[in-house]
Amino acid sequence: MAVVAAAALAGTALAGCSASGQQRIVFAFNKREGIPYMQKVVDDYNASQKKVHVVMDTSGIGTTAAGFVRGNPPDLLLANFNNQAARYVTHCATIDLSETAEAKRVRPAVKTLVDGVGECPGRTSAVPYSIMAAGVIYNKQIFARYNLEVPQTYDELIEVCKTLKAHGIIPFYGTFFDSWTVSQGWFDYAAGGSVDLKSFFNGLDAQGTDVGPDSAVSFQKNFLPGMQKMMVLARTYSNADANSRIYGDGNTAMAQGKGAMYLQGPWAFSEIAKTNPKAQLGTFPLPMTNDPKNLKVAVNVDLAAMIPEQSSHQQAAKDFMSYLFQPRIIDAYNASQLGYGPLTDSAAQNDPRVSGVQSYYQSGQMYAGPSYVIPQAIPIPNLAQSMILGADPKGVLAVIDADWARFARRQ
Amino acid sequence: MATTSLPAAPSPEAPRRAGSAPTAASTSSPRDAGQLARKHHKVEPVFWWMTIPTLIVFTLAIPLPAVMGIFYSFTNFIGVGNWRFLGLANYVAMFSDPQIRASYLFTVGFSLVTVVVVNIVSFLLAVGLTGRIRAKVAMRTIFVIPMVISGIVIAYVFQFVFSNAVPAIGQALGIGLLKESLLTNPDLAWLAVVVVTAWQAIPGTLLIYIAGLMSVDEVIYEAADIDGASKFKQLMQLTLPLVSSYVVINTILGFKGFLNAYDIIVGLTAGGPGTSTMSVAMNIVNGLTNGDYAYQMANATVFFIFTLLVSLLQLSLMRGRNKK
Amino acid sequence: MTALPVVPPVAVGKKPRSSRRADRATLQRPNWPVTIILAICTLTVLIPLYVTVSMAFKSTSQAVDGKAFSLPHPFSVEGFKQAWTMTNTPVGLGISAVITAGVVLLTIFLAAFASYAIVSNWDRRFFRYTFFYVLAAMFIPFPVVALPQVRLTGLVHLDNPLGVIILATMFQLAFSVLLFTTFLRSIPHELEESAHIDGATTWQTFWQLIFPLLAPMSATVGIFAFLYAWNDFMMPSLIISNADHQSLPVRQNIFQTQFANNYNVSFASYLMAMAPAVIVYIFTQRWVMSGVTQGAVKG
Repeated sequence: MAVVAAAALAGTALAGCSASGQQRIVFAFNKREGIPYMQKVVDDYNASQKKVHVVMDTSGIGTTAAGFVRGNPPDLLLANFNNQAARYVTHCATIDLSETAEAKRVRPAVKTLVDGVGECPGRTSAVPYSIMAAGVIYNKQIFARYNLEVPQTYDELIEVCKTLKAHGIIPFYGTFFDSWTVSQGWFDYAAGGSVDLKSFFNGLDAQGTDVGPDSAVSFQKNFLPGMQKMMVLARTYSNADANSRIYGDGNTAMAQGKGAMYLQGPWAFSEIAKTNPKAQLGTFPLPMTNDPKNLKVAVNVDLAAMIPEQSSHQQAAKDFMSYLFQPRIIDAYNASQLGYGPLTDSAAQNDPRVSGVQSYYQSGQMYAGPSYVIPQAIPIPNLAQSMILGADPKGVLAVIDADWARFARRQ
Repeated sequence: MATTSLPAAPSPEAPRRAGSAPTAASTSSPRDAGQLARKHHKVEPVFWWMTIPTLIVFTLAIPLPAVMGIFYSFTNFIGVGNWRFLGLANYVAMFSDPQIRASYLFTVGFSLVTVVVVNIVSFLLAVGLTGRIRAKVAMRTIFVIPMVISGIVIAYVFQFVFSNAVPAIGQALGIGLLKESLLTNPDLAWLAVVVVTAWQAIPGTLLIYIAGLMSVDEVIYEAADIDGASKFKQLMQLTLPLVSSYVVINTILGFKGFLNAYDIIVGLTAGGPGTSTMSVAMNIVNGLTNGDYAYQMANATVFFIFTLLVSLLQLSLMRGRNKK
Repeated sequence: MTALPVVPPVAVGKKPRSSRRADRATLQRPNWPVTIILAICTLTVLIPLYVTVSMAFKSTSQAVDGKAFSLPHPFSVEGFKQAWTMTNTPVGLGISAVITAGVVLLTIFLAAFASYAIVSNWDRRFFRYTFFYVLAAMFIPFPVVALPQVRLTGLVHLDNPLGVIILATMFQLAFSVLLFTTFLRSIPHELEESAHIDGATTWQTFWQLIFPLLAPMSATVGIFAFLYAWNDFMMPSLIISNADHQSLPVRQNIFQTQFANNYNVSFASYLMAMAPAVIVYIFTQRWVMSGVTQGAVKG
């Protein structure tokens, strides 16, 4: 009996593809904050035409990975373009999109950013959809109450922290229990604000497997000053219970005005707004040196579109991709998520919450966060977390060097 | 993962006469006619139908994929796209990887401690639950509940309990040690993993001990009562030796299961803080999604051999025990 | 899943002492100190369950404070409403039920068949080797086979709940065969012999004599198959390709990573994940208990 039922289930799974001549394409999207918006876009598209039925799959990168292995990956991916997703590109498992109108609309500076994460030689494999520029989220009311200016240098930042602490305000709200919040915020900002990451990673690549205490560039040499400053901010100017707080706790605390500053990307705004839509928040780049000219923002290709080679509905996927990239849809998405449009014709981002980092993004004073660029085989979130919980930064950075060399040797 | 949690365990007090159970432990005993087996008979066709189809599906489902997985450990395959042979490069890199070494140390250490904790607690509970107590059925029911809940859900609940409930108790009682969450202390987080794993594993072990204690003949206790032996002395000198074969089984079963710890750690600490509670199985599973598949397959192959050796070692120790 | 218990049968001829012990227990006065100590110990099980239930029934604004022990005030089911729709619980529940039923039935029958054939033909090399071959699979860690399994199931269009049923059954096979063969060894051969003399075929003997005798062990095998199939999330998450056909634990897990910023919604989803198994267990606990312990005591 159960076998019969299961066989029936299997039957429906097989029949899913071509029931009434209609093509069924699977669209993988798992950016949790954007799911409601994207679900509406998919519903509109399905209602607007009869040829293609789009099914949105939000189950995440693990399922997508299994799909690639199985030979039936999603037909269109709109995914965070980090090292994990980029490996499909670097192994040339996604098709060339250079001839599409969408790829031709991408700003050159953004294309450089995308290629820096991963590329298949001779192809345009990933078309960026949303760029996130992240910095320090701060509570404008708290800053105004104590007459504080947005700090431009590290020394000014420390002064701000001291003032806040003297008034019993938590300067930085930390959520160290969730290791990704440590790597994405603390580790990336501290490194990006103190090191020229582009030449650093070029140097690492040139050295190949020869990375260690004696090499020209290494994590333990170049990252150490920034990490030591990070430790001061985390240990002296964060909430006492930061070690056991999770991302959700941090959003709630910021909504309730419990902390003055928060090292998170713009995606956190919509989560904070769920608890307190009226919170007055802004963003500024984390100063890690005493020269305001060094101020930069962390950017990441939050979403990029890719079409797998193994998809049997590539044309339908391209059609839906064109639909997604229509100015009204992509601009509305980026407006709602506080991201930046990657296209030459993208609308400007005018939300006051992120306007503080806009000029840096536009003038190209930006870096790709190292935790997105370093291969995920090296567990940066866990290593960054162990540092912030008290492990010696030099020792942890030496581990990253050794991991880097070991990874290079088995490529 | 049922395959990974249950070792071959010979039955305690298995019939010692002809045709003893075909368990791995009894392979050393000379082959004999067996109770049901008829020597030199023709195999009836129905027996082929009872085994061959299952055997074919089984081979396709487990041994064949295992061979494929081991094959990939000699390549740089990421699960999709082009790949090439690396020879032993993955194995060489693996043996110099402090991350992997640390995960083996953690996994073995955690398993040893958990197996001891689980067995002591379960044995004492079983003695209590087979004694002259009130509400016996109700209490047995309650103690067994954790067995039916999935590990990942247990872990999520305990993550909250450790981060919020336990510190609240610590505050209220003024116990300094409890005020900070165990999960954020790199030196002590493994204790939390032991506690939660034990919470889930105790019921199964407990049931085996209850079964064992119920098979002990009451007359022995009556004699001991007459001799005037204290209850504690009875427990240590009478009960424990009588259920010793169950202790062996629980130890082997538990150890093998704990070596494969995955669900609870993922939900409770995600391997943190830092990498202090990263288990071997976690590293291997992460390789599936983080682009390090082939490398972690090398790790998995070594781990397979390691588990097999540990189990064989335990079995041979036990066989020696049974012989005396 | 960490260590599941195995309860091997004990020697033939050993009578269960439970009835006699029970007599003795009721005759003598209860041991109150032990009863009280055990009752206190049950709190280690009950407190986490209490926290789960009370958090699940809180309103979002009350759950935010993270106070584990406070009672829900006001009593709210909004967490359940959200979790129910977000994970599409009814569909997940149905699929999990089909998978679990399939795995339990297939495991009991296939393992019983194979075990009977192995024990009956133990003098044949093929059946002995089959036994050790199947048993060796218990040592293969799941991750080693995971990715090739994903590829192979995709190839034969079993990337669906049916594929999960087949794989889960195969994963349970080794352990179940071990239990059944050990048990079958303790059945006196004379019984079977007399059935043959009465003219029954091997097939009839199996159904009319052996399978009923195996009942307690079938219960044990079935319970472990149930627990594994119902609670496993990793294998279905990798094997089932269509997200609409995912099992309940996988939906819970996706939900946990995507939407869990409100404690009441998270805990409502945990409660919904654990409730079916706990309820089934409480209603069948006498049967489970006797199945598992008799498997050990009876011969």
